[in-house]
Amino acid sequence: MLFSLEEVIETISQVGVETFDIRTITCGINLHSCIDPDVNRCAEKVYEKVVKIAKDLVPTARAIEKKFGIPIVNKRISVSPIAHLAGAFTEPTAVPIAYALDQAAKDLGIDYVAGFSALIQKGITRGDQILLNSIPDALCQTDRVCSSVNIGSSQAGINMDGVYRMAEIVKEAAERSKDKNGLACAKLVVFCNAVEDNPFIAGSFHGPGEGEAILNVGISGPGVVRAALENAGNLSFGELAELIKKVSFKITRVGELVGREASKATGIPFGIIDLSLAPTPAEGDSISDILELMGLERTGCHGTTAALAMLNDAVKKGGMMAATYAGGLSGAFIPLTEDAGMCRAVEAGALNIQKLEAMTCVCSVGLDMVAIPGDTPVDVIAGIIADEAAIGMINHKTTACRLIPVPGMVAGDVVDFGGLLGKGPIIAVSKEMPTVFVRRGGRIPPPVHSMKN
Amino acid sequence: MNQNQKEQVVITVLGANKPGILAGITRAIADANVNVEDVSQKIMQDLFALMMMTDFSQANCSFETFQSRMQEVADQLKVRIFIQHEDVFRFQHRL
Repeated sequence: MLFSLEEVIETISQVGVETFDIRTITCGINLHSCIDPDVNRCAEKVYEKVVKIAKDLVPTARAIEKKFGIPIVNKRISVSPIAHLAGAFTEPTAVPIAYALDQAAKDLGIDYVAGFSALIQKGITRGDQILLNSIPDALCQTDRVCSSVNIGSSQAGINMDGVYRMAEIVKEAAERSKDKNGLACAKLVVFCNAVEDNPFIAGSFHGPGEGEAILNVGISGPGVVRAALENAGNLSFGELAELIKKVSFKITRVGELVGREASKATGIPFGIIDLSLAPTPAEGDSISDILELMGLERTGCHGTTAALAMLNDAVKKGGMMAATYAGGLSGAFIPLTEDAGMCRAVEAGALNIQKLEAMTCVCSVGLDMVAIPGDTPVDVIAGIIADEAAIGMINHKTTACRLIPVPGMVAGDVVDFGGLLGKGPIIAVSKEMPTVFVRRGGRIPPPVHSMKN
Repeated sequence: MNQNQKEQVVITVLGANKPGILAGITRAIADANVNVEDVSQKIMQDLFALMMMTDFSQANCSFETFQSRMQEVADQLKVRIFIQHEDVFRFQHRL
């Protein structure tokens, strides 16, 4: 027999018991050919191109699910940063493009479409300005469109004008979607060192260095790692890392298989597999549970950053060997409301925003799906974004903020965004004001790239 | 599909042990003209666990039809059935 019964049952258990799934197949599409001075004409071209290229994505994903017995939870599209098209528009709005993307997603059965984006780490063009001004409308008037803006990089520094503008936009998007608890902000990411091939929403976009179209795959598998640790007993750090690497290898292999199959069926090249362990609100599918199994009384206690650093590194090492091309964000995600264990840690008082920020120094992204009090001032939001960007800039890693100032709610209240976005507590933020600092204007210069002590 | 090329599919059956499971499952497989190439079966603490390596290339129905027919048989026998292309196991367990 090619496989033992135990091996087959191990694979079946990953899906049936340990909530393993492929989180997303994301089809990246270059939209530069759709440029047109007339925004409505451009929107028509965008719709046509997206539908033409991604028409087989959903049926292909469904066939792969059946063939291998592995669920593919989301089918997504990422597009070129729309700011690149917006520079040509006579009329200063990009909202019709968001409508076109939303309609294309709905017609194709796509869950999310991302790339209503701008890259403003060094400066803001007319196209960027049009895009930024259109974000609140785009997010509030569509269902499936996601937006991201890159405001800093290790090479360019941090565009603090961009940071402040994004803080205003976060606040406005929350207020304008207050009937849905500020849900528009769950579709908006502010990046430092954004990557061009990330398949995960909301921060996905089809980077300027990418080809015409590409398929990128993101997996989810905290439950599988948790199950392995539960059965492992008392291990030294070396043994623990080895165990995580093995599990990570196995789940990433399934992503690799799915990417190759999807590429073969659609004729779209397979780009990268993102090695991130993406949690879901499902019980047990939690990064926090893994950290606690590693021996922390509660996520957020001293030792948490070290545990997360080790987990993140082991996941990458295991996953890298399993993938032909690894890319995207690749690490352990710690989105707050999407991870029931993280939420419990906040509710128990063990995890606060300061510790969460420290954790983002070693995890793959940043302050992700963090719900904050609705009355948090723009200046404070700008301060949070600037801090997170600084971590990314100095450490040459991607960091991001997906903050939701939930209108009418205060620290300790519980907000429910539904589905994969989850349910969790509003986390307290500092009351002191960074006003003078965040309003200075200009750009924080990039760090020195040598003398690293 | 090339007539000579095999399409290997792993069928796994899990459930409470009782007479007739193997007979019921193999009858349905034969009806679909799917060839059984290898069988491994164990009783693990009263749990009936059966795995079959099959060749689907000469089947008289589509993969999805086969899956739904087998699911009906499994429902009647009150067992769980998984029908998956062998690649998923090869990718996970073999370098």
